[in-house]
Amino acid sequence: MSDALLSIQHLTHCFRLGKKQVLRAVDDVSFDVRPGEIFGLVGESGSGKSTIARCVMNICQPSEGKIFFDGIDVCSPKERRAHRKLLQTKRQIIFQDSSSSLNQRMTVADIIAEPMSIHHITPKRGSCRAEAEFQLHYVGMDPSYLDRYPAELSGGMRQRVAIARALSMEPALLVADEPIASLDVSIQAQIINLFKHLQEEHGFTFLFIAHDLAVVRYLCDRAAVLYHGKIVEIAPTKELFSNPLHPYTQALLSAIPIPDPRRERARPLRVYTPGPVTGQLAEASPGHLVLREEEPG
Amino acid sequence: MADEKFVLTGIRPAPEAPPPVRPAARRDRPILAAVILAVIVLGCLGCELVMTKDPTYMDLMNYSRPPDREFLFGTDTMGRDIFSMIWYGGRISLLIGFVSTAISTAIAILFGSLSGLAPPWLDSLLMRLAEIILSIPGLLLVVLIQAALGEATVWSISLVIGVTSWTSVAKVVRTEVRQIRESEYVVASRCMGGGFFHILRRHLTPNFLPAIMFMVVMNIRGAIVSESTLSFLGIGLPLEVISWGSMLSLAEKALLGNCWWIILIPGLFLVATLVCMTELGNYLRKSANRRQSNL
Amino acid sequence: MKRNPFLYYGQKALTFLMSVLVLSLVVFYVARLAPGDPLVSYYGERAEKMSVEERAWAEEKLGLRDPIYVQYVRWLSGALHGQFGRSFKYKADVLEVIGGRAGNTLILGGIGFLLIFGLSLLLGVFCAWFEDRLPDRALCRVGTAVSCIPEFWLALVLILLFAVSLRLLPSSGAYSVGKADDWGDRALHLVLPMAVVVIDHLWYYAYMIRNKLLEEVRADYVLLARSKGMGKRQVLFRHCLRNILPSYLSIMAISVPHILGGTYIIETVFSYPGLGTLSYESARYHDYNLLMVLSMLSGVIVILCSILAQILNEQLDPRMRSPQAPGAGEEGGHG
Repeated sequence: MSDALLSIQHLTHCFRLGKKQVLRAVDDVSFDVRPGEIFGLVGESGSGKSTIARCVMNICQPSEGKIFFDGIDVCSPKERRAHRKLLQTKRQIIFQDSSSSLNQRMTVADIIAEPMSIHHITPKRGSCRAEAEFQLHYVGMDPSYLDRYPAELSGGMRQRVAIARALSMEPALLVADEPIASLDVSIQAQIINLFKHLQEEHGFTFLFIAHDLAVVRYLCDRAAVLYHGKIVEIAPTKELFSNPLHPYTQALLSAIPIPDPRRERARPLRVYTPGPVTGQLAEASPGHLVLREEEPG
Repeated sequence: MADEKFVLTGIRPAPEAPPPVRPAARRDRPILAAVILAVIVLGCLGCELVMTKDPTYMDLMNYSRPPDREFLFGTDTMGRDIFSMIWYGGRISLLIGFVSTAISTAIAILFGSLSGLAPPWLDSLLMRLAEIILSIPGLLLVVLIQAALGEATVWSISLVIGVTSWTSVAKVVRTEVRQIRESEYVVASRCMGGGFFHILRRHLTPNFLPAIMFMVVMNIRGAIVSESTLSFLGIGLPLEVISWGSMLSLAEKALLGNCWWIILIPGLFLVATLVCMTELGNYLRKSANRRQSNL
Repeated sequence: MKRNPFLYYGQKALTFLMSVLVLSLVVFYVARLAPGDPLVSYYGERAEKMSVEERAWAEEKLGLRDPIYVQYVRWLSGALHGQFGRSFKYKADVLEVIGGRAGNTLILGGIGFLLIFGLSLLLGVFCAWFEDRLPDRALCRVGTAVSCIPEFWLALVLILLFAVSLRLLPSSGAYSVGKADDWGDRALHLVLPMAVVVIDHLWYYAYMIRNKLLEEVRADYVLLARSKGMGKRQVLFRHCLRNILPSYLSIMAISVPHILGGTYIIETVFSYPGLGTLSYESARYHDYNLLMVLSMLSGVIVILCSILAQILNEQLDPRMRSPQAPGAGEEGGHG
């Protein structure tokens, strides 16, 4: 527990839909992210992945539960205020839709330098512009794009700019909320490789949210499978893919297409009958937890 | 499940091409309009240098004189020199245009931001209120307020016009604020620790300013038209306070004497100013829309 | 989502009534704030010759000493019974005075509206057809310039040209003296005011049609229709024009008060005996009873037209019905 950079304990978040209806978007979720690892969060749409990310970033206030970042309880307003600057610089988020997460009326240089100007940090490399240029180079873009507007860039480039903006604060934790979902496949590969590079060479920690299992398998060290707001299985990626225990995970994995038509056709497709998920996480093997259904009756 | 090595397809080291050169500066800049407007505005501001006569002096020997060498644009039915009056009166007309637009824009931004940031019930109440105010015919509202305020002065006219012309800008501000408020870059900025004023300055204002710039310019134009119309009808500025509108209020007498210069010359100045402002406003609108259309 | 039409129109009617009520409240308060002796508007010049006792008696009788909200309620109940008081200047019931003038305004505004409607359609289609070519560019230039001209000055110039210099057309009134029943004479008197009404508003709407058409022409279905071999004219008239017409109708509904407001000023310049001159006179001579009813009348027309436009829009585009997208509320709760 103490070695975790981000520790989420019994996180629950409810949305009020109407006067009486309450949607438990996130239901009693607990997991740890260790420094230097890429932790994947997988699930179908509506399973509460983005809500967890938003709670981690303090965009949403969770209904119940605690989130510790570097030992700071980010859900308590008092502690948040005391460590405001640390939290705002050491956690950064990358959104799914780069076209809406970048202000259309700011140049790339201004966008990358925005966090620095907010915190009045003197950039390491002299001027904000030099810093922006460095970060842009870091994510693999030509410095001549500095004076461009987001609308003039392609989707992949915009996402790189968003990453550069997040990196400019040299964060300890990067929360990536489906950063590749709105990109073309070939661009997705570039961005994924960028993430891999950032982790391996520079030791960034990621909370990586995706609905694409192949990506999670390639990129993440550990992954949690989310279903209807609950974690059904959490394990090291290799273990998760070779030995899925929960029926939902098994069904998910069986849906990965195989790039070979003959085997693809012969592939058995498991169907998971949706129902209310109940039960407790139990350890199947070291580091591999799975939700055990309580016996009905 | 498949247990061979996971291969990511589609990775090809794509060479970073340098960005294409941006198209040259736009050709349809309203240079002519800007120059004409600058001449008129500068002439009005520095009217002491331009005027050839005292614009308020009534030369009873030379009333209704057509343009000649001494009176460049002729004299009006009260013997005042029209050439001098145009520059002198233009100052008042432009002043009213700017002051009333400043008033209306301030009200609009305040009201619009308030409505945009308010909870839904207050928002719809405020907008309904704006609609009702909008539904009172502008001219009649002006007349009523004017009657309440008493004798018209430059400031009361500006106030009246300002108070009656803010609703359209307020609506735009409100819509923009509502849209921007939900956008992810504002959320991102908040995550990075941007405070309210940072967001207002860096994100909100740059985004709704281009949208309302055109309307603000059009409001200046509208205010000048309102002033001249009111003064022409005799419920605006009195004859002694020289403005383009009050100069034209002599038109009826001028028609009787077939004195075309009293009507045409001040009117041409007025229209030239309005046309130039419209051209500038249209340019502003086009350049504000430029980035969206590039998407 | 299905809607009960009865409920839907009931809601609209309620909105209308509430708006009119608030409007009347505002107008009443502003009118009472205005200086001027209210007694004059009831008794005319006699009020100035009244003794102190007589004044007190009259004020008591008219309820002018009551708090303003009591006066408002009294005025409202009178108004509901069709009693809006008497006009001081015309020494007649306000409704009678207005009734005598409304026809003239209706003719000027109505025919003007129809002309604007038709001509702007023609002009807009014409410009869209020649997009960015010489006729379009020239028309855009001229149109923008013309639409900048203040109504009253355009009227003055036309009077100067056609009435004073050329002596072709009459410059004021609705008919020549003694020719009240001569329709030809009336039509002659209408030419100049009508010209100003049409010229001043035409380009605004034509430009709108042009831009909407150009937007429509960019749509993919046009490409499809063209590739199937439909002619340019056919696509433009059969598809594009038909698609923009409904939204244009709602714009024209909002334009009614706009054009009406312009008519008021133009009437005054031409001394055309309509509601415009009447409002102008009532404002100048502090005839508050008349002015209030006229303000209310215009306000009601504006509200009516905007609700009409709203209904039109909502019938055309179901997305406009709910003021905010579902889900926006729950997001806002946590923002």
